[in-house]
Amino acid sequence: MEQTQHGVLLFHSTNWALKAEKAAKQASIEVKLIPTPRHLSSDCGTALRFRWQDRDALIQALSEREVTFEHMAEL
Amino acid sequence: MKGMTSFFAQRRGIVSAGAVIGALAALLVRWGNPANMGICVACFTRDTVGALGLHRAAVVQYIRPELVGFVWGALLAALLFREYRPRGGSAPVLRFVLGVFSMIGALVFLGCPWRAYLRLAGGDLNGLTAIAGFVVGIAGGVWFLKHGYSLGRSTTMGRAVGWVMPAFALLLLALLFFRVKFTPEGPIFFSTTGPGSAHAPLLIALAVGLVAGFLAQRTRFCTMGAVRDLMLMRDSHLLSGVVAFIVTAFVFNVALGNFKLGFTLQPVSHSNHLWNFLGMALSGLSFALAGGCPGRQYFMSGEGDGDATMFVFGMFAGAALAHNFNLAASTDRVVEGVFVRGGPSVWGQAAVLLGLVVVAAIGWTMRE
Repeated sequence: MEQTQHGVLLFHSTNWALKAEKAAKQASIEVKLIPTPRHLSSDCGTALRFRWQDRDALIQALSEREVTFEHMAEL
Repeated sequence: MKGMTSFFAQRRGIVSAGAVIGALAALLVRWGNPANMGICVACFTRDTVGALGLHRAAVVQYIRPELVGFVWGALLAALLFREYRPRGGSAPVLRFVLGVFSMIGALVFLGCPWRAYLRLAGGDLNGLTAIAGFVVGIAGGVWFLKHGYSLGRSTTMGRAVGWVMPAFALLLLALLFFRVKFTPEGPIFFSTTGPGSAHAPLLIALAVGLVAGFLAQRTRFCTMGAVRDLMLMRDSHLLSGVVAFIVTAFVFNVALGNFKLGFTLQPVSHSNHLWNFLGMALSGLSFALAGGCPGRQYFMSGEGDGDATMFVFGMFAGAALAHNFNLAASTDRVVEGVFVRGGPSVWGQAAVLLGLVVVAAIGWTMRE
């Protein structure tokens, strides 16, 4: 079975990660708050994990609700 | 190098770091530090502030080389792994205020979260009351986070921002090493009795600080983040490091004969439950709003974070205020055969209540 590929969004603050989670859930996109992956940053902030296949829908959902993020990366 | 990065990012990395730091904390007591104070970031800061003469409590004056090690260990790790980045500009003045009140809360309990965990590992059950207050304080911080709290983004800054704390740490080390006397009766002060007089040899304490700083920078070990991440994301990564820290310190304490179970007359401790709880609640809330425990603030200041540096300087000011204005708690003691329960003066109690109001106001007003 093929493993689901995930991506992660990094934010300037935890507050924006929480806003992004809310926006994604409103758009019925499955996401999960996780600690910022260590290899991406030494900051101990909050990041949002999503399925890579949902990437475009997520970006659109965030931009519709004016939620900005700092960085997107594949996990 | 990549393998090492990956190791430290995994659960076994944070567990190993927590265990090593916990063992070293217990050993530091063996090597001379005060009981249940192998590592206490707030106490070390208070002692250092006293040594500089910014407060005059004669029993708590000594420049703690562990703090220098924290900063330089984190700096070396960040440089080695190319994570050093001078940054700042995220509401520094509020970080200073949070640092002040986190310290006042800690000195009403007589320890920061590091020491709350270590006191528990040494059998001091007041650690439990304090941790309960700490958790409630962090829960308050998480509530503010969920309601839009943010101190704003930090930005990359010029090199000078990142060098302030490492340079200050080196200056402290020089003052300690050369035992400088600025006036015959004046600073640098060195306690001859009390907790300030109990310390591990300089080079050992410095080495332990360097190791802890290095490991903590790599793993993001944080005594507050452990609880926050569990509440905010149901993530137990950092918590596993803290549990390893407590368990290892406990095992070493038992092995070294430094375990004594009970509430009263514990070393450098008081059993005034209400104020142990409220003091650490204030600290927990302040750390949560500032994004890191006192140890992590030192580590981040080492990796270039000017905002964390402001928080540390706030802690310095808080320690001076706590001892100059009689806010810090007294310990449990026996006077002429009669047990006297310690705790904060009415000034200390008022300062904690004021702190809770001020810090909550920061949480409430800094919502985006």
